[in-house]
Amino acid sequence: MHEMTVTQNLLNMALEHAQGRRVAAIHLRVGRLSPIVPGSVQVYFDFLSRDTLAEGAELRFEMQPIEITCQNCGRPVDTPDLPGESAQAAMVGAFSAGCACGSRNLRVTGGVSFEMVSIEVAE
Amino acid sequence: MVTIIPVLREVTEANSLLAAALRDRFARQRVLVLDVIASPGAGKTTLLEQTIARLQGELRLSVIEGDPTTSIDAERVVAAGVPAVQINTGGGCHLEAHMIQVALGQLDVAESDVMIIENVGNLLCPTGWDLGEDAKVVVASLPEGDDKPLKYPMAFATARGLVINKIDLEPYIPARAAVLRENALKINPDLAVFEVSCLTGQGLDAWLDWIRALLAEKRGGAA
Repeated sequence: MHEMTVTQNLLNMALEHAQGRRVAAIHLRVGRLSPIVPGSVQVYFDFLSRDTLAEGAELRFEMQPIEITCQNCGRPVDTPDLPGESAQAAMVGAFSAGCACGSRNLRVTGGVSFEMVSIEVAE
Repeated sequence: MVTIIPVLREVTEANSLLAAALRDRFARQRVLVLDVIASPGAGKTTLLEQTIARLQGELRLSVIEGDPTTSIDAERVVAAGVPAVQINTGGGCHLEAHMIQVALGQLDVAESDVMIIENVGNLLCPTGWDLGEDAKVVVASLPEGDDKPLKYPMAFATARGLVINKIDLEPYIPARAAVLRENALKINPDLAVFEVSCLTGQGLDAWLDWIRALLAEKRGGAA
């Protein structure tokens, strides 16, 4: 439900970088564990971008995988995370299984942010 | 012609930047700030009331209350004897750094040793927004179920403390505090876990000692 304000941030950021040019596409990177639902962002974007230079811009969502690191050996822990399935469940699965080194001291080190990678503007 | 302009910025960077500024401010003012996260009804406000009652005369506390509507919680906290500001988020599901900044206009944090922010009752969204706090604390009450950490892992992964509340109800319900603790430590082995009853006062001493230790750690670091 917080996607509306987040989408307004996104729109402002894109328009700021476009500097008066029409925005054709916005490339976004969404962490699988971030509290952002791409479908909601799309709905709000279609609404909020009306009558702006970003109206009709294509939102390209690149999902950033979960990254879990073992605090004992420092290695990344294999986290099978299938699209369409719950990322939280994948996270719990990885934490339950532990690291190959035997340690259960794991930490989420990636896949939690929501970034704008780039925008495409029409000159 | 289409031109690609690199941006590489966090979409919610405004919140992150403001939270960092608040963290600097709290460091200068030597105030320990806790962000308390829980489901509605877990006992956040009762934990605050009990904490205030037990630390009165020893530490100066202040509170920021987040709720969709009403000032019931802030009134309870003020009645317990500390300054409090209520933030009403309306339809908002979590507090954000700019709301804390506004609330600080009505609260003299420099006069506090510890400021507790009670977030909106929600185990999902508040985990994604930094408020400049020193630690997030999850309150999970036993009747909610001992599987909470498995269903809301990010809340437990991002917290430093876990208060398991309502343990006095354990004889009457299937949930077990030991299981909740084990599930939480699976997600975050560094969690400080406190099993308490805010009704009987059981277990609260360890929670208070932890607050004292965090404050000492913060002030030791700043000295």
